[in-house]
Amino acid sequence: MSTAFRSCFVLSGFILAYFTYLLLGALVFSAIERPVEETLKSNLDSLKAEFLNLSCINATALEAFLEKVLKANKYGVSVLENGTLHTNWDLASSLFFANTMVTTVGYGHTTPLSDGGKAFSIVYALIGVPFTMLVLTACVQRLMHPLTYGPISMCQRRAGLQPRAASVVHFIVLLVLVVLFFFVVPALVFSTIEETWSFLDSFYFCFISLCTIGLGDFVPAEKPGQRLRALYKISVMVYLFVGLMVMFLVLRTFHKLADVHGWTAFFQLPSYEEEHEDKEPIVEREPDDESPEAEKASIKPQNPSSQVSYNSINR
Amino acid sequence: MAAPDLLDPKSATHNTKPRLSFSSKPIVYNSGDDCDTITTVMKWKTVVAIFLLVVLYLIIGATVFKALEQPQESTQKYLIVQEKINFLSRHACVNVSELEDLVKQVVLAIRAGVNPSGHPSNESSMWDLSSSFFFAGTVITTIGFGNVSPHTKGGRIFCIIYALLGIPLFGFLLAGVGDQLGTIFGKGIAKVEKMFVKWNVSQTKIRVTSTVLFILFGCLLFVALPALIFQHIEGWSALESIYFVVITLTTIGFGDFVAGGSEIEYLDYYKPIVWFWILVGLAYFAAVLSMIGDWLRVISKKTKEEVGEFRAHAAEWTANVSAEFKETRRRLSVEIYDKFQRAAYIKRKLSSELGQNPGQDMMPCKRTLSVNFTDELEKEGLPTLTKNGSLYLNGLTPDFPDRGEISIIEHLK
Repeated sequence: MSTAFRSCFVLSGFILAYFTYLLLGALVFSAIERPVEETLKSNLDSLKAEFLNLSCINATALEAFLEKVLKANKYGVSVLENGTLHTNWDLASSLFFANTMVTTVGYGHTTPLSDGGKAFSIVYALIGVPFTMLVLTACVQRLMHPLTYGPISMCQRRAGLQPRAASVVHFIVLLVLVVLFFFVVPALVFSTIEETWSFLDSFYFCFISLCTIGLGDFVPAEKPGQRLRALYKISVMVYLFVGLMVMFLVLRTFHKLADVHGWTAFFQLPSYEEEHEDKEPIVEREPDDESPEAEKASIKPQNPSSQVSYNSINR
Repeated sequence: MAAPDLLDPKSATHNTKPRLSFSSKPIVYNSGDDCDTITTVMKWKTVVAIFLLVVLYLIIGATVFKALEQPQESTQKYLIVQEKINFLSRHACVNVSELEDLVKQVVLAIRAGVNPSGHPSNESSMWDLSSSFFFAGTVITTIGFGNVSPHTKGGRIFCIIYALLGIPLFGFLLAGVGDQLGTIFGKGIAKVEKMFVKWNVSQTKIRVTSTVLFILFGCLLFVALPALIFQHIEGWSALESIYFVVITLTTIGFGDFVAGGSEIEYLDYYKPIVWFWILVGLAYFAAVLSMIGDWLRVISKKTKEEVGEFRAHAAEWTANVSAEFKETRRRLSVEIYDKFQRAAYIKRKLSSELGQNPGQDMMPCKRTLSVNFTDELEKEGLPTLTKNGSLYLNGLTPDFPDRGEISIIEHLK
């Protein structure tokens, strides 16, 4: 009973911490962004007033026009002169769109307009998201050997370090390499190719995409008149996929590190650990011949790397 | 089972729900098996195969989207261009460049979240406390709608740091919520299972029924009900509401539809309820998605097994066939050799009767062969023949005795 109580306690502690964190974020964002918004609003007001003064249009006609423009813009259709040339749904762009969907990044710069498209997206996402997670887990599991276990055991053998120290050293090196090659270098590349992006913007874009948040305020290859658009989009796709895999790898390595240091035992919700053994799974594996293996798997110690369930993907 | 992946909101629930332990499935392809090299080879092959499958899936999706969406897009384009032309013709004092400028500014404003249509009221802001709270929530859950996003340098840097810390924190939370959810569901389903056991239904059926129940009940609670509510409050169509629910709960989060994002007057507690629903719904969806993933894995494992079985059968069959073939060849060659032996014997007899010298040099091996085969002339059971035959015909082609015999016969002539 005490463990159940303790788990409830821990859970409510987390919820409270989460709320506080959100509140803090809200306050900071509000404080930073609101003044900028005010400026933009007043600029827009004056622009509209100017426009109306100069010309013979009345306000309602302009409003109606603007509404239509905005509606079109929401669909990614630009009314500007050079905007009619490219389409958002050629093969490369559709591929990019499908990729952002299954990796759950979801920029939103193009969204399905038709009812058929929306219905298809629902089904596509429901199947594609677990599918992608499966692939990424498989790849990461495979990559763990040369990239994590190998170097760590090498460290232990050559340098004679303890497992704990070796894993820490390895993790730091991995982190530095990942930040360098998957954030800094691509950010440089993006800031060169996209003229309106600064280095910070590109770095922000890389981060937001690789965490699969995908706000969509920056999307590469969207400039009208972009050269080699298809190639650019496809290389961005590849970068996102590989980057996602690497993020999972980093998280999984961190998990192993935490395991080695015993942190996971500390942070785990206590009910999880103890009750696991005697809880019967609701859904036994569909084929019954898997059950002996299942027991073997469940007895395995807390080794996150043995966890294959697709959802145990570290990002 | 391993520690929950607390650092990843999507995965967190999965591990901590042993009751709905879709996750405690045994390891599939990357099973730490005995022979490392063999599993290495298999792992790569499996991974590559699955990777190709994903690429194929993406290509299929791309073609379908293109086919569905491009016509709509063209229609929109056409409409808006018409609109522009009409506007310009109706209001002759406006020139094109001015209009373009205005439109550019308006579009930028929209992307900043400011709605220039109507009078941008000073009361409602996209960055008041409740909206910022909502935005922070979308960042941490990695949904990332994007209808509102930071535009200042400071805002962006803060966003990065905020996400770095917040996503693991949310992962912890989701793990806990998932656990509680699993417990509640598990208790309910255990009760149902008890009922079924009384009726003497098989275990598998119980399990399957409970899964189906779980899915249906969860769908009702977390998908259908909210979709109805959104339909009513936001004024979306049924399809759009379901689309929004699915896109949000899988954390894709396009942002074309956002609950609480339009200009409607919302009740005070609307946004917090939406946020709470997202939290619990995410836990549910993680469970559903993991189940689908497990099924896909089971299917792939079954396919692999079947392929393995098929290969094993094929290998066995091939081995059998080649063994039989070899045996037939041996039998044939033995028979042929036997016949030649007889012919030679008859010839010798004839030649000896005709008074010729029978004592030719026969090649020693042939003599031994002939000796053995005269023993076997009675044609004992083929197995013994083949056994002896195999000893002596080892390395000898069927042609060899023929040629040898022919030369002997010629010698004798």
